[in-house]
Amino acid sequence: MSSSRDAILAKIHRNRPGGPALPDIHAVPFITFDDKFAAFAGLIRNLGGEAIWLADGQSVADVVAQRWPKTGRTVDLTTMQHEEVFTPHDWHDVDVAIVPGELAVAENAAVWISHPDNIFRSLYFLTEKLVMVVPKDKLVDTMRDAYGQITLREHGFGAFISGSSRTADIEQSLVMGAHGAMAALVIFC
Amino acid sequence: MKADNIHHPDAARAFLTDRARASWHDQAIWFVRQKRDVQAKQLPEWEELRKLAEQIKAHTLSKLDDYLIQFEENARRNGVTVHFAADAAEHNRIVHQLLAARQVKKLVKSKSMLTEECGLNPYLEERGIEVIDTDLGERIVQLRHEPPSHIVMPAIHLKKEQISELFHEELGTEAGNNDPTYLTHAARANLRQHFLSADAGLTGVNFAIAETGGVVVCTNEGNADLGTALPPLHIASMGIEKIIPKLEHLGVFTRLLARSAIGSPVTTYTSHFHRARPGGEMHIVIVDNGRSDILGNPDFYASLRCIRCGACMNTCPVYRRSSGHSYSYVIPGPIGSTLGPSRDIKKHGSMAFACTTCGSCSNVCPVKINLHEQLILQRKRAFDAGTLKPAKKMGLLAMRFLTQHPALMDAGGKAMRKVVPILPAFVKDGTAWSRPGRDLPEMPEHSFKELYRRRQEDKQ
Ligand code: SF4
Repeated sequence: MSSSRDAILAKIHRNRPGGPALPDIHAVPFITFDDKFAAFAGLIRNLGGEAIWLADGQSVADVVAQRWPKTGRTVDLTTMQHEEVFTPHDWHDVDVAIVPGELAVAENAAVWISHPDNIFRSLYFLTEKLVMVVPKDKLVDTMRDAYGQITLREHGFGAFISGSSRTADIEQSLVMGAHGAMAALVIFC
Repeated sequence: MKADNIHHPDAARAFLTDRARASWHDQAIWFVRQKRDVQAKQLPEWEELRKLAEQIKAHTLSKLDDYLIQFEENARRNGVTVHFAADAAEHNRIVHQLLAARQVKKLVKSKSMLTEECGLNPYLEERGIEVIDTDLGERIVQLRHEPPSHIVMPAIHLKKEQISELFHEELGTEAGNNDPTYLTHAARANLRQHFLSADAGLTGVNFAIAETGGVVVCTNEGNADLGTALPPLHIASMGIEKIIPKLEHLGVFTRLLARSAIGSPVTTYTSHFHRARPGGEMHIVIVDNGRSDILGNPDFYASLRCIRCGACMNTCPVYRRSSGHSYSYVIPGPIGSTLGPSRDIKKHGSMAFACTTCGSCSNVCPVKINLHEQLILQRKRAFDAGTLKPAKKMGLLAMRFLTQHPALMDAGGKAMRKVVPILPAFVKDGTAWSRPGRDLPEMPEHSFKELYRRRQEDKQ
């Protein structure tokens, strides 16, 4: 095994071509948005999701209850005393998962999810409906800004999630709900 | 896996016999190209982004062994086991050993062109392991026992009626229900059970970050996430060229990938894996399989910058009108037509000619690979290797002779301009010029040379 390793690396070393220095990716101006929330909310509508700017006096629970009056098993990772499970499969029948998002990206409606208190990330993908709660001042313009701020907090795992799971593998018709969440709701609070 | 003897022009001719179908294929794929254009135009920095991506990848290839070592060290530090495989056989052996040692009976896979390249599925199935492809398109082609026809849209060659029939037989869906939503959700329910009962998950890799030792996988369906979050074993298979130096470089590549691939601002899930899920283990298999040879070839090494977005095939007039199954190599379209011949010119020589040299592929490629130029160089290799059919070879040799003898060329052109307009129709029968949609061009009265000379005289 290690002999393959050394032979491969030696051959790459022999064969590697010349190349430029690494470019400075911050030297180029990228797009900015005057109203980041409007950009985010406009995009996510076409990606099987919805974005809400929480009004004064309104709570996340209010918005969720309004959006889905009848829900099944709900797990809320934004509270300290959430339910714990022993295997990743135990989340298989979750209906609503409410999870904290660290930041949101205006250019593509993505939210960075990596939560230090969560043990099994399967929750994000098994749940039928995914609610991501993001602080209002954590909206950035582009992925470049996002990568400057994110941290991997959850057992080496983190994901940008943009809208709901989808596919167009049958004749290019867009269908929401491929394998992951069927619906996504992003609440800025 | 693909048959061993595919010759592009013959396979394309067969595909084109169903005109309506071929035209649908062309339009469906052109629509994706147009969606890509809409996304590109929304970013004023698009061309700068492509340049950055090109430079990052070119830089990485120039120090590839250093970055691989850095990646390996950081991955090990995270608790991930890293394996190196010189070729497909070693890759398959490593994966099988990992699975066998843990008594894995069922493996769920997310999209990976590399494992397709290595022939992993049949290798594992022969050894008694059930392999479930979980990307919807890949599941469809797996159930049909055929290779993917596109690297991003594996089942784009199929109509929904065919998928409905397949699902009726395999998953017990209602006969005649062709609704894509119904069919997708039926597959969802079926595959959900496979995810929950799998013993291991295998993913491809979009990007491997040297600085952090982690890998990034991009999907719209969430299948890579379910396949790695549930079973206790995650194996990620990657080619040596997937490395990028730093996490921040994803701020360039994630902006290009989905926009170029499917005309979306980003994929639904851009997942970063640095460790197994708690209680599990993670392995990364780094595969060479001919890549280091390409790296040493000054004409072709730029093809290793590829991020497998598929934009070059979506724009290619030949790919759209011949479909991925007409190409002998596992990766079709412009990028496949340089990678395939680089790997085996005897087997894949015909792919180098599946090109009009229009250059559209090079113009959309997010990492600015000079695809059409590489294809011309591959043609030369195909010719030298003696892979051309006699008629094509004779034609090329005749053309070479003519271009080297200007007087003959002039005389030949003159004869053609006189004779072709009065040719009886039957002469064209059985030639390429008699096929639907094609015709001989109208012959001009004068040659370019004559027109040019006259113009010069008029000027004086
Ligand atoms: S060659 Fe360029 S356009 Fe084609 S798949 Fe690779 S990155 Fe995309």
